[in-house]
Amino acid sequence: MSVNKYTAPAMAKEKEMRALSIIPVSDENKVKEALKHLKHLVRKFRPLMLAMESCTKCGHCAENCHTYLGTRDSNNIPTNRADLFRKAWKATHTLEGRVFGKLVGAEPLTLDTINKMYAYFYQCNECRRCALVCPFGIDTCEVTFAGRQLLHWLGMVPSLHASVGEAMYRTGNHTGLPKPGLVDTCEFLEEEILEESGVDIKIPIDKPDSDVLYIPSSADFLLNPETMMGAARFFHYLGINWTMSSAIAEAGNFGLLFDQRYTLRFNTMRLLDEVIKLNIKKVVWGECGHGWRAGKMYVPSMTDRPVPVPIVHLHDETAHYIRTGQLKLHPEVNNKPITLHDPCNFSRACNLGAKLREVLNPCVTDFREMTPNHERNFCCGGGSAILFDDPGMYDLRIKFSAKKAEQIRATGIGENGDGYLVAPCSICKAQFYPILEEHDLGVQVKGLIDLVGNALYPPINI
Amino acid sequence: MTFFILQVLPYIAVMIFIVGMVWRLCRWLKTRNVHNVVLTPTPKTSCGVAVRYVKEIFLFRSLFNGDKSLWAGAWIMHVTLAGIIGGHIVGFAFLGQQFIYMGVSADTSVFLSKLLGTTFGVILAVALLYLLYRRLSINEAKLTSYFADYMHLILLLGIVSAGNFMRLVPGYSVGFEVPKIYMIQLATFQPVTIDPLMNTAFIIHLLLVQILLIIFPFSKLVHLVGIFVNRLTVDRSYVEPAPGMPVANAGVSVGNAASSGKKTT
Ligand code: HEM
Ligand code: SF4
Ligand code: SF4
Ligand code: SF4
Repeated sequence: MSVNKYTAPAMAKEKEMRALSIIPVSDENKVKEALKHLKHLVRKFRPLMLAMESCTKCGHCAENCHTYLGTRDSNNIPTNRADLFRKAWKATHTLEGRVFGKLVGAEPLTLDTINKMYAYFYQCNECRRCALVCPFGIDTCEVTFAGRQLLHWLGMVPSLHASVGEAMYRTGNHTGLPKPGLVDTCEFLEEEILEESGVDIKIPIDKPDSDVLYIPSSADFLLNPETMMGAARFFHYLGINWTMSSAIAEAGNFGLLFDQRYTLRFNTMRLLDEVIKLNIKKVVWGECGHGWRAGKMYVPSMTDRPVPVPIVHLHDETAHYIRTGQLKLHPEVNNKPITLHDPCNFSRACNLGAKLREVLNPCVTDFREMTPNHERNFCCGGGSAILFDDPGMYDLRIKFSAKKAEQIRATGIGENGDGYLVAPCSICKAQFYPILEEHDLGVQVKGLIDLVGNALYPPINI
Repeated sequence: MTFFILQVLPYIAVMIFIVGMVWRLCRWLKTRNVHNVVLTPTPKTSCGVAVRYVKEIFLFRSLFNGDKSLWAGAWIMHVTLAGIIGGHIVGFAFLGQQFIYMGVSADTSVFLSKLLGTTFGVILAVALLYLLYRRLSINEAKLTSYFADYMHLILLLGIVSAGNFMRLVPGYSVGFEVPKIYMIQLATFQPVTIDPLMNTAFIIHLLLVQILLIIFPFSKLVHLVGIFVNRLTVDRSYVEPAPGMPVANAGVSVGNAASSGKKTT
């Protein structure tokens, strides 16, 4: 394995790659193989082809990418990130590139470029803010998707992503929790709810003949228990016959993030199989940004069968029940100064921006928008699960979140050290837990459904 | 040489332009929109999408929302350019007398035509200079530019400058008649009768335009077509599934705070 001179996350070992059914390509063959994949990918995906061939290099995307803002590393300018692909594409597949070479930004692919791809495609949060601001709608996130796909086929995947992919194959969730673990946790959380709100609420797993299948983020079992309890309170309040499934206790789909072929499809089919098995009428997705993008936008194009039931997001439902006046809420229990972080995938890829506000506003007393907001909001810096702990990468996570910290500070919610940052996305939460401390913001992270749950069943001992 | 520029190269340039653009468009349309990659919030109806599409293409909406000075430079540059291209066609076709249909005299019409052309030409030159200045002075623009990116602006500046030179320097104007006859002769495949030594500025203007046509399909200038294709990929309408969950009839105990209205829709 070559040593990467760029700051990059620890790479999965051959054994880990084989667990994903990939045999890593040797360094000597990498360039040749990569060129094959490059051609295949660019010829196939229209947004990718247009990113390769119609960018005017106006540079407008630069100051709109928080990774560039946080690092001032020119490789993190979206269009330059796309250049990692574009240079090789121009050099091999365009007339102008073959004739004029470097003058028009063409350069033959080298092993060094591939290492650079590994570094910089995993420094992209796949947040699509570049696509929002580009006059042509050129989506550098699509280039990152394709870049990571190519790297996956070469056997170059961060350990983090590979191990999560493997845990998913094995257990049906990213945390690697087997069914007894899930059931235990749910029982524990049921007791917590009883203690906090005085209501007996069941959190069912694999309950046959349920109407609604709830797809939580597996992180909600351990890291974000309030989110799990919030969802349970919401379903219980409405008297929904719901369940979760031990076979797919995972809203996330890392296929979207490193392998949009087999892994994305495998996780998708796993969901559809469970829908049939449990005789589900509707699937409701939990708080996970990229996962919901996969669920909403990629399930229809990835499945091998028609999707038999509607798939909606939890906050499509909460917004609906709030709009129609079917929830009696107690906003006074959520009386902290609160701001909302728009998960990129929700606001720019899944149409949820307005709904999040419809839900949040009636549940709290002191909501302050950060600027910019809705689809113009910036990413948390952890997007696409670049939640690496290697020292160099952790340092980058802090830098990528600099813009976010500035936005949060400007709202003033942390001035008394008791602000809430609502971030209804598991990866956002995982990024924020340490990062808010690093920036010393006086703010805690909450899920959105956490606050809904509280407002529905106010704590009994306050 | 002048003969080549006046009589031979125009055919080559136009052929390369047309074939090149068709080839480029086919190459793009052979790719697929595999997944739904709309940028949200999306318009809800096709009508809304059409409005968005027009705003993006004719008003540069995304650029406007993001960077007003780049927007101003780019938009003014494109609008004056479009105006001038239109003006070339109409002006030569009607010999500057197009405005008599708006009720003015022939002389006034020619005067207006020249005034508009000159004004647009000067504004276009200024806008191009601004864009060039921006590329050379703003760090982010420098970091993203290749040699070709400067050259495109310089080439356009060359064309515009030659044009403005003919307009503004007495004695170098070619009027409306000469280019019209020249164009007709080219279009009908006749030998051109224009005096090859007549006007260096005109020859240079013509040569640069032909170079532009030749490189067009093989440069970033294909964004002219790209914007139409790409916007259709990211700006689409999306219909949300109906909200409301099926309600259980039995087996679930309803908590203390449950409200009465639990109907689904
Ligand atoms: C429907 C037609 C067109 C649209 C919507 C369009 C749109 C745009 C936009 C949004 C930009 C980015 C802003 C910028 O870089 O300044 C741009 C740049 C540019 N366009 Fe166009 N364009 C069109 C046609 C053309 C044509 C026909 C030409 C030239 C013959 C042209 C030449 C340029 C150049 C040279 C730039 C780069 C400017 C710079 O370097 O800053 N465009 N165009
Ligand atoms: S904003 Fe769009 S056109 Fe401009 S440099 Fe970035 S990707 Fe290219
Ligand atoms: S997707 Fe986000 S992180 Fe990636 S290049 Fe675009 S703006 Fe930057
Ligand atoms: S983790 Fe959250 S903010 Fe960050 S990219 Fe995902 S959705 Fe965006």
